[in-house]
Amino acid sequence: MSAMPQPNMSEARANATFDALLWTLSRPGLPRSLPEPGEAPIIEALLDRECRVHAAEPTLIPAIMRTGAEIAEIDRADHVFLGAMTAAADLAHLALGSDLYPDDGATVVVRARFGDGQRLRLTGPGVDGMLTLDVGGLPEGFWQARAERMRYPMGFDLFLIEADRVVGIPRSTQVEVL
Amino acid sequence: MTLKTLTKPWEAMSYGFLDGSAKREMRRKMLKSVAVPGCQMPYASREVPMARGWGTGGLQVSLTLVNPETRVKVIDQGADDSVNAASIRRFIARVAGTPTTMDTLKADLIQSRHRIPEEVLSEDQILVLQVPNPEPLRPVQPNMSIARQMHADADYGRMWLQLYEQIVRSGRVMQGASYPSLVNGRHVMTPSPIPRWDVPKLHMAKHLTILSAGREKRIYAVPPFTRVEPLVFSDVPYKVEDHAKLTCHRSGATGFFMNEIPQDDGSSTHEVSDSEWGVKAIRVRDGEKVALGETWYKDGEMPQ
Repeated sequence: MSAMPQPNMSEARANATFDALLWTLSRPGLPRSLPEPGEAPIIEALLDRECRVHAAEPTLIPAIMRTGAEIAEIDRADHVFLGAMTAAADLAHLALGSDLYPDDGATVVVRARFGDGQRLRLTGPGVDGMLTLDVGGLPEGFWQARAERMRYPMGFDLFLIEADRVVGIPRSTQVEVL
Repeated sequence: MTLKTLTKPWEAMSYGFLDGSAKREMRRKMLKSVAVPGCQMPYASREVPMARGWGTGGLQVSLTLVNPETRVKVIDQGADDSVNAASIRRFIARVAGTPTTMDTLKADLIQSRHRIPEEVLSEDQILVLQVPNPEPLRPVQPNMSIARQMHADADYGRMWLQLYEQIVRSGRVMQGASYPSLVNGRHVMTPSPIPRWDVPKLHMAKHLTILSAGREKRIYAVPPFTRVEPLVFSDVPYKVEDHAKLTCHRSGATGFFMNEIPQDDGSSTHEVSDSEWGVKAIRVRDGEKVALGETWYKDGEMPQ
């Protein structure tokens, strides 16, 4: 092999996106930067023909279709893009996986605002003691609805995004609304 | 839509050897394994140009994570220079163009077989452990479908019984490496065949650990600040190997995990198992200026 291998643009973007996602999911509540704003880099890094995807935001559908993923109803989807949510009721239909296969629980991407709104206290794996975080832009009763659905190890994993910032909240994290 | 938008330009080789769909699957599974610490997630485990059982699981994780800025360190049983470690390191550097290092402090990604380095890992480092057998229940339940159900039910009674029987029969827990440990108070995992000495290093660590078994097609993870508790009875405390008082005959380092080297006269000498730590100790002894990281064990004791 002569030349040093170099990643192409999409590979470099997907690698940087995944790096951010893995880092922030390992350390819930601490934001990381995506290489590009919005859901597009996440769609590119994670989705392909093997995925069933639900998008509440119609503008995301073309990008999802390009990956070859199947568009599915929310209860069958393993990746769910809820966009800017208006009602917490959507959380009631998310796939949670099973005790045998918790990995069938959905990965959920939601738009939010960091730095204002409800003050949350996070505890659990990845959090050094506890951590407070202000998150706004989510519908009324969102965290209550999340808590009601979690049956650890069954559950769903959240990525909150605002422009190019992303915060991961895995199912193992306990979220307390202050 | 044109054909050009649906295809990608021709490339001689996918960056980092694995193709796009393999990487995306690894990414999805790694996220899930972080979300449920210690729970074994099935994955496809693609072919890599190495025999299954020689670190293919760890290699696939590393190849998914690397970019040209990732500094990679590979260790095998503590040593950077053994054949397996050298081959894997060279392979990653060749297919991903990554810089390599032997210094634990300078590494961004550490792929390891059977050891965790003696220097404390920082929050920006990722430890990838190669796992030969990911199922801690296999000695008590060879049927993996039933074992999965036992994990689902958190039914670890037989695990405890096995430890109890060892104590009754032998006076101590006989499990040397891959000591079964409870992660986040829920899933029992095998921490890969690291010695008992290394298991406390996973407890509430600052770094992310990903454990991947290529042959068995299972991946699991220990996120930072996650409880990792070796299974012990309250009246029989967890014991690490009795290496605290041993001194390395080459570097003079004391209080670290040692390799025993049998001698002709029946006695044995010891040498520090983390080869790079040994090299650093020798360079310090020779008066060189070397950056020494903080170590997990201090004077042979792990502070709690």
